[in-house]
Amino acid sequence: MIAQQVLNGLVLGGVYALFALGFTLIFGIHRIMNMAHGAVFMSGAFIGLFTVQAGLPIWAALPVAMVGAGLVSIFIEVIAFKPLRKLALADAELASIISSIGAGLIVLSLGQYVSKTQTLRFPFGTVPVDAIQVLGLRVTMLQLLMLGVALVLVVLLAYYLYRTPQGRQVRAVAGNYRTAQLLGVNPNAIFYQTFFVSGALAGAAGVMVGLAFNSVQFLMGEPFLLKAFVAIILGGMGSIPGALVGAMVLGLFQTLSAAYLPALLVDAVIFLLLFIILMVRPDGLFVQTVTESPTQRV
Amino acid sequence: MMSFIAPHLPLLDLICIGTGYALSQAIVFRAGTFSVATSGFAALGAYCAAILVVKQGFHPALAVGLGTLLGLLAGLLLAAPLARLRGVYQAIASLAFVEILVALILFFEDLTGGPLGFHSIPRVVQPWMLVVAMLLTMAMLYVLGKGAIGRAFEAMRQDPPVAASLGVNPTKYHVISFALSGAIAGLFGGLDALRNFSLTAEQFGFSILIATLSAVVLGGRRTVVGPLVGVTILVLLPEIFRPLAQYRQAIYGLLLVVVMAFLPFGVYDTIRLRMRDRRLARQAVAAASSGARA
Amino acid sequence: MTALRLQGVGKRFGGLRAVAPFDMSIEPGRITGLIGPNGAGKTTVVNLITGVYKLSEGRILFGDQDLSAAPRHEVARAGLARTYQTIRLLPDATVVENVVIGMYRHQTTSLLAQMFGLPSSRAETARFRAEAQQLLERFGMTRYANYPAGALSYGDQRRVEMMRALALKPKVLLLDEPVAGINDVEAQRLGEIFRALADEGMAVLLIEHNMRFVTRLCDYVYVLDSGQLIAQGSAAEVVSNPTVIKAYLGEAIDA
Repeated sequence: MIAQQVLNGLVLGGVYALFALGFTLIFGIHRIMNMAHGAVFMSGAFIGLFTVQAGLPIWAALPVAMVGAGLVSIFIEVIAFKPLRKLALADAELASIISSIGAGLIVLSLGQYVSKTQTLRFPFGTVPVDAIQVLGLRVTMLQLLMLGVALVLVVLLAYYLYRTPQGRQVRAVAGNYRTAQLLGVNPNAIFYQTFFVSGALAGAAGVMVGLAFNSVQFLMGEPFLLKAFVAIILGGMGSIPGALVGAMVLGLFQTLSAAYLPALLVDAVIFLLLFIILMVRPDGLFVQTVTESPTQRV
Repeated sequence: MMSFIAPHLPLLDLICIGTGYALSQAIVFRAGTFSVATSGFAALGAYCAAILVVKQGFHPALAVGLGTLLGLLAGLLLAAPLARLRGVYQAIASLAFVEILVALILFFEDLTGGPLGFHSIPRVVQPWMLVVAMLLTMAMLYVLGKGAIGRAFEAMRQDPPVAASLGVNPTKYHVISFALSGAIAGLFGGLDALRNFSLTAEQFGFSILIATLSAVVLGGRRTVVGPLVGVTILVLLPEIFRPLAQYRQAIYGLLLVVVMAFLPFGVYDTIRLRMRDRRLARQAVAAASSGARA
Repeated sequence: MTALRLQGVGKRFGGLRAVAPFDMSIEPGRITGLIGPNGAGKTTVVNLITGVYKLSEGRILFGDQDLSAAPRHEVARAGLARTYQTIRLLPDATVVENVVIGMYRHQTTSLLAQMFGLPSSRAETARFRAEAQQLLERFGMTRYANYPAGALSYGDQRRVEMMRALALKPKVLLLDEPVAGINDVEAQRLGEIFRALADEGMAVLLIEHNMRFVTRLCDYVYVLDSGQLIAQGSAAEVVSNPTVIKAYLGEAIDA
């Protein structure tokens, strides 16, 4: 039934949103593509899992996972991006992408080691398996949790960015460190904050996905990273509301495609959507004041 | 001599093919494009060659030739839509192209074997063929780089508006770089298919894309030797660290991080730059001292 | 030699009027000046001529060629060269390579020959390098031939940019503040080169703020202010024109 699929799509969209928001926050502020974001996501899932295995309930494990993932994210910033900032190259872009890939691999191999390349699962009953009936639709506790977490975190993120002085500083920096420094902003503080927040969001997404698909394994981040590109381009690279909308659209699109198309075509269709968006409206659905245009202006 | 090389032949294969892919990637970087479509072109070349040989009985050389041509055509077709995009967006669009292709290969099972892979490909390609192909490609790209096309690429890479104001037609060279990239990747994809007994779609997906990209950035993307150096490092690394095999990924990752921090232009390119700077400094000192004497 | 003629050329950016429609003629054998206070639209005019901006109104004719809608590379191939207010060399390329790329429009070899390094292409490259070396000698820059252009001093970089523009063997040379930030002696030397080029038949457009430079070199001057053409004539006429003086210095200080 379509309504059920729409619900599923929204739940998936919520998770994509958390992942995409973290990624686009970094890109919007620092103009960096953090290719280790998938690894941060994975580490959140692992930390959440181990916390639950240690006996804590899910609502305590989630914040622990978020903090842990935030710290992993800062670690990645320090080893992959910080050294390149000092070098100030014209094409540091490519070098920092490769560097972040390397950092991601280091974190991945740690995950592989810790899990002995096995797929781990959250203990049965971590989230109650009951479901409720809402408007004729069957909504599981897990789905409620995922939607709830996504909603709360997005609201908190919005509050942080638009209502707190730290958040305002972060937005003001957006790519222009020298001006920010002249205004008394400490760029390092901005880096740590943004990477921590980005990682925390990804970590929350990791726990949710680990619960939803009942599997936590060290490669779980890769397909998400690729799909995240779709969400971010849809909404406009660097745009926070855009990432949210793009993620929801992606979640719906993916779920509906999976329901009505052969499984092997779903990916093709999703990436075709990405390609078409780039051809037709590369700015994304939310046209915000981007400093760099996606199209050539020779 | 052969008994020394023989156990290492599989590595030699990997280095040659990997360098071919890396050269295909590097050429688009030299023209100032940020495309990662190489693995997609390679997939086209590989499956084209394999299908033609196994299902249609084509002669392997012809099949590889047609695979190269298919790669070239794909490059031509992809150039136009990607020309309008900038930097990161070009990269993502080319990534989308690769993912679409991989998904389609998986879907059309009757043709490609789908998720089960394509098997029973005759192993016709010998290591010496790969070496020759690699050397010829490097030679061609070297000559091309030294000549007019190389100059135009350099101008486009460093300052596209200035290049245009000197008469360089950006679209033309954009298309040339994509056509070359597609042809080279198609060629090595075809060779790859015919030395492996079987093909799977995944081997042309995200992982090889990242590996090729890493090899180019690691070794150096402005020279013809740089990609070879990068690929050699990445292929030999797991062998050298065999005792630490389980940490292979971590070492690989650490290598990328460390090299980017200290040799951001790539191992080979950075060394070459430093040598050139030293040479120029020596010349300047020599000129100054001889001038002082005169 | 043909003249470059602007007829009713104007530019709007959305609702903002950057250049009001005006006529200008850049004649061969003359140094034509384009002056005006900052923000007057002088660089916009050069960008319109070279195809960086699309014309909102008017036409640009070069002999019997209509360059109004021509893309940048076609404008260059027609024989128009420009220099930039801020130096725009290829920083990673050597000085020689920077000059050689200026000769791009004179390439005659086929793509195939270039791709495989056939003798015709190699001979052409050798010829270009030799010509570049001649230019370097003329500008006294031979010892910098193999230095990366980004490593040179400001004055030397300006000279490389000049050499690159000349390597194009242009029929029209558009100079956008070529002596900004250069000492008087250097400026004088460059001025002599411009004069020599004009005497050889080139059509030269000079945008400058240095009024001494302009009055000494320019045969004819156009004055822009806030996108409008407010005066034109010989250098002497323009400099004593009260409207021009007001534009540069503001209202006269009266009681």
